[in-house]
Formats: sequence, structure tokens, C-alpha cells
Amino acid sequence: MFSFDPYSPAVDADPFPFYRTLRDEHPCFWSQEANMWVLSRYADIVTALNDWQTYSSARGNLMTELPNRAGATLGTTDPPRHDRLRGLVQHAFMKRNLASLDGAIREAAIDALQPLLGQRQFDFVEDFASKFTVKVLFRVLGLPPGDEVAVRDRAVLMVQSDPATRQKGPAHIAAFNWMSEYASGIIAERVKQPGEDLISQFSLAEIDGERLSEREVLLTTTTLIMAGIESLGGFMSMFALNLADHAEARRRVVADPALLPEAIEESLRFNTSAQRFRRCLTRDIELHGQQLKEGDFICLAYGSGNRDERQFANPDVYDIDRKPRGHLGFGGGTHACLGTAIARMAVKMAFEEFHRVFPEYSRVQEQLPWMPSSTFRSPLRLDLAVG
Amino acid sequence: MVMITYVEPNGGRQEIDVPEGWSLMQGAMSNGVDGMEAECGGSCACATCHCYIDEAALALIPPAADNEAAMLENVVAERRPTSRLACQVKATAALEGILVELPAAQS
Repeated sequence: MFSFDPYSPAVDADPFPFYRTLRDEHPCFWSQEANMWVLSRYADIVTALNDWQTYSSARGNLMTELPNRAGATLGTTDPPRHDRLRGLVQHAFMKRNLASLDGAIREAAIDALQPLLGQRQFDFVEDFASKFTVKVLFRVLGLPPGDEVAVRDRAVLMVQSDPATRQKGPAHIAAFNWMSEYASGIIAERVKQPGEDLISQFSLAEIDGERLSEREVLLTTTTLIMAGIESLGGFMSMFALNLADHAEARRRVVADPALLPEAIEESLRFNTSAQRFRRCLTRDIELHGQQLKEGDFICLAYGSGNRDERQFANPDVYDIDRKPRGHLGFGGGTHACLGTAIARMAVKMAFEEFHRVFPEYSRVQEQLPWMPSSTFRSPLRLDLAVG
Repeated sequence: MVMITYVEPNGGRQEIDVPEGWSLMQGAMSNGVDGMEAECGGSCACATCHCYIDEAALALIPPAADNEAAMLENVVAERRPTSRLACQVKATAALEGILVELPAAQS
């Protein structure tokens, strides 16, 4: 009897064999353990992403939602409220408006590399990716220096879930509460003394003459911090892992950094850190012979859609010449990741600088410790031998 | 399925069957049509899925909402009365056979 438990450590470690069975044999599968339907084929996921009226985000988008978060963030509201909220922040994340961050992002990469010079082995996650992403986020949101390590540790814990209880555990909730308080302090300062930064603008913004609710400002800020640190860092670790495991691809991008953007796209397809997100049905539907009811939760398994042979030829092959357009590494549709442009730019710059110093590297651990998370997938630690 | 003819910047034509309900952007991106970037992934946040809709078909499509109209100001190719962002236009049966032309540049 096939089962799919997104809380199981086996799925954290390697979801892809499960995904194949889901796609081939159970394209619309009821997961008892997750208490939701799982959609695993590319076409079904795209259809859901294009139909927010049916596949609503208003009851949460994380597989294991944080308390009281649904309904107060970009990812957990539906249009038209979502579009109005997004309109307030998206200008800051548009490609053309990011050019001014070029220097700061490159500097963050160079700074983060400094302590690694001369080392033969280090943990890519802790020693590079997390240091770099925290520096970038603090710069983008204008956060005061000093709290980097504390913020990063909480951001990573917030997205995890407990494999035994299939919920957020006390440590995850405590991290979320800490982050909410941290964000609340920043917001209070910005309201008192507004600057040009995004949080100030968002805190004071109005929709139809009304200020956003405190909860919206707070949870949206909290989500930006979580995504900026955890999602970016998680993806960077997956990209490093792919390049460590595929030496020929790495040598090509090292020799010709102009190939980096296509390699990044292929990693977003091959094993994106954003593996699974959630929706809730607003009406009864029939799909692949199953009757789904209004109120049922649906898992959109992006990581599976990205390996669907119905869409991508030889999907289990990592191929930087593939140009995998339309991949689901950032989700898609109305709720596609807000940070696509800055993520692409930051990862590219980080690896341009990283490869200047470390053109050769390989993986040390045979088995990686995977983050326990029903939504995201990345290693907690990635030891690289360099040189 | 709705058959859409995409005209690529080099003049090449691709006839694609797009599932009803998918955006014209998604139809192009998942079928390897040239001339679209769709940097933001379909959230109306980047203006890099700019297209020109065949004039006769324009009337069959709901007009651009405020966010699309505002984002259209950011397109880099010539903006014409027929300009739309392909991520905001859904394939419906009424659009069977229309021409969707892609500009020479998206960014």
C-alpha cells in the first residue's frame, strides 16, 4: 500500500522516488499523514496555480502553517487583497530597481568568503550561505547590525516541522514568536522615524485610504525575513550540492561564469528548495476520477512537477544546457515568488565570487542531514572539500 | 485545449495547444516558444512577458486590470494599443486560433 508522508525523514532525504509513483499511479493522491490531496504532475500544478479562485491561499500556503499567519501575508491572501498588498512591495523587488544593490551584494559575498581563505574544508551552509544571505537581507531591509546570527537561527527553525507530531514543535513556534517580536520592534521604530526603506513604506502604506492592519505589516515583514534568509540560503546550498556532485557542470560554469544563470535555472528545476506548498479548495471538483470537496487542502508538489517526464525530457538528469523554461522552482501564477529577481542575482554573484576563490570542490559527507520540513528541502550541513 | 499561434521575434510561428485556464505566458514558456522571459513567474511583477494580441481578438479578452495596466508602462519594446502581459491573459475557447506576437526585446 503506497503512502506519501511529507513529514517523514525519508521524504526529506529523497522525495523523488515517491514523486514518480505519485505521478504515474496516483496523480491525485490523498495523503492520510498530511491530511490533504497531493498533486504531482506538472500540468495539474500549473492549472491549480492559474486558478486561485478554486485553489485558494487564504487558509495558508505553508504545508505546516504557522499560528495565526494565514490571511495576513502575500502568500496567504487571494486577490484582490493580495494584489493590493503585493503592489505595495513588489517595486522594491523588480529587476530594474535592484541595480543599486549590485555592489552591496557582491561585497557581502566577498566578506563572507574572507574567513574561508586558506581552509581545506568547511560547511557551506553555516560558513558561507548563511553569512552571505543574512548580510544581503539586512542590507535590503535596512535592518540594524548586531542581530544577524539570532535572526538567521530563528528563520531556519521557523520553516521546520516535527516529524513525529506532524506539526510545528515548541522550538519552531518559539522561533516564530521571537521573529514576530523582532519584526514588531523594527516596525515600531520605522513608524516613529520613517525612512526610505521597504519596511517604513509598508508600515505606513494605505489601501483605499486605510492603513494595513498591524498583523499584516508584522507577518508580511516576518515572512520577508524568513524567505530572504531561509529560502535563499536553502537554495544556495542545493545549488552548491548540485555543482559539487556534477563536476563537469561546475568546471564549465567556473570557466565561463556566463553559464551560471542557466545552471541556476536547472537547479531550480532539478531540486528546488521550495518543494511543496499548500492550497485550499473553494468548491468541489473532480480530478483524475477523485471527488475533492470544498475545504479540502491540496499540496502542490513543485519538486515533482519539475521532474515530470510529461514536461521535461530525462527529468532526473542534471543538465545545465536544458534551459528548463516554465519550471516551478519559484512556484507560479499570482503567487509566484516575490524574490525571483533578487534571488537569481544574489545566487549568481555569490557563486561568481565563490568560484573565484574555490574553483574546485567536492562533497565530503555521503549522507546529508536534511532539514525536517514538509515545505522546504535543503541540507542542514554541507561539508565541502576544496582545492 | 485552445490553439494559440505564437509569432516569435524572428518571425517563426508556433502553433501550441494551451490548456483552457492557463495563461498565454504559461502556454509559451512550457512549450519552448522564443521571445518571452517571464522573469517573475506570472505574478504581474516584471513586464517581461509582453506580447501583442491580434487586434480582432482583443475584444474577446477582458481589458487589462489596474495592476497590468501599470506594469505595462515598464515594457521595453514599443507599447502598442494591442500590448498585453501574457501572464494576465487566460486561454479560453473564444481565443481559438488567435495570433500572439512577441516583441524583439523583453528586458
